[in-house]
Amino acid sequence: MTAAIEARQLSLQRRDDWSAAHHSVLDRIELSIPEGAVVGLVGRNGAGKSTLIRCLLGLATPDEGESRLLGEPSQALTDSVRERLGYAAQTPDLFPRLNGLEHLQEMAAVYPGVHLPDAVALAARLDLPLARRADALSLGDQQKLAVVLALAHDPDLLLLDEPVASLDPISRRDFMRALFAMRRKAAPRTVLVSSHLLSDLERVVSHVLFLREGRVQLFIEWDEAVEHLRCVPAAEPVAGGLHWSAAQGGQLLVDSRQRPEAAGLAGLGMEDLLEVLNT
Amino acid sequence: MPPLPAVTFDIQPQLATPIYRQVVEQVQRLVAGGQLGAGDELPSVRAVAERHAINPMTVSKAYSLLEAEGLLERRRGVGMVVAAGVQPARKGQDRIALLEPALLALARHAHQLGITSDQALKALAKALQSTEQDNP
Repeated sequence: MTAAIEARQLSLQRRDDWSAAHHSVLDRIELSIPEGAVVGLVGRNGAGKSTLIRCLLGLATPDEGESRLLGEPSQALTDSVRERLGYAAQTPDLFPRLNGLEHLQEMAAVYPGVHLPDAVALAARLDLPLARRADALSLGDQQKLAVVLALAHDPDLLLLDEPVASLDPISRRDFMRALFAMRRKAAPRTVLVSSHLLSDLERVVSHVLFLREGRVQLFIEWDEAVEHLRCVPAAEPVAGGLHWSAAQGGQLLVDSRQRPEAAGLAGLGMEDLLEVLNT
Repeated sequence: MPPLPAVTFDIQPQLATPIYRQVVEQVQRLVAGGQLGAGDELPSVRAVAERHAINPMTVSKAYSLLEAEGLLERRRGVGMVVAAGVQPARKGQDRIALLEPALLALARHAHQLGITSDQALKALAKALQSTEQDNP
């Protein structure tokens, strides 16, 4: 199986305007995301999630390293790969004077794969008024429109940056369903989606990618994480763990396949895991 | 032909059991308990994924595991059905074996809470009674 997303030593620094010091936003990111994976990109604010997505798409230029989407270098994507990508930015990038349907028509003029009836049906499912101008839509509806546009041409690879932050719980559920909807090809779609709403991600992801201070902390199949990752008390860092956290008197994140004595302990939800990895 | 019982899964993503395993275990229990018999259809991967807003690959994974186990088979044009020759667990013992993980968890929780065996058994009886009332 080929990788849909690859990164080697991907690094990006930002100069702090006040101190003129440089700090790493992305720090030697190594990634290989298989085709068909649905990856939750998880981390605290400022961990580098949006920058990573922008770098992968070629919208930001790394200082070092490289990445590839669907086999092509991010910095030199051809139209044939662009047509297979879908992206919704954290702040929806819309034409204020156009309504939803006009946005879709604009897209259909550029992308050959747009199937308008499917896109309109998806909008209806998400309860999105397509006849209203973008500047008159609520933030939640703007996000929905951005997602409908990202999905309209049935992309093979979908990158979504905080797409559900302003949606109510019912809409979020519908959004999760939409990730798998509108698929006319046999091969499953690859998805990278960042979110702070971890209980939503728990339903749909095949993998989870934990990012902290620009580094990949952990990339794991979510089923494996649920079945095998456990926390054992450890007053100080010891070898054999995935991460040591100082919180709650010290705890070590371990894989129970390596530490069978941990198998009987309670499993960790995505939120627990995020907390352990960030303390 | 009488209408087939519609199987609905009880899926709780926040549980410490992966979703695919929740589906596997529920099918195993429904077959062992006789609610699903040889030839009965399972809901399609798409339908289960759609209903619970989960990843279709997760449902496929569960069905494939059950197929490998010999409990389900793929039938052309129909989808997944309970495999021919699959019998409900005859002996109560086999069914109890499927209940074991839940029983151990219950025992562990009761112990942690300092609940005596007597109290725990009474509480279990009460829970069983209310489930029977809800699902006659």
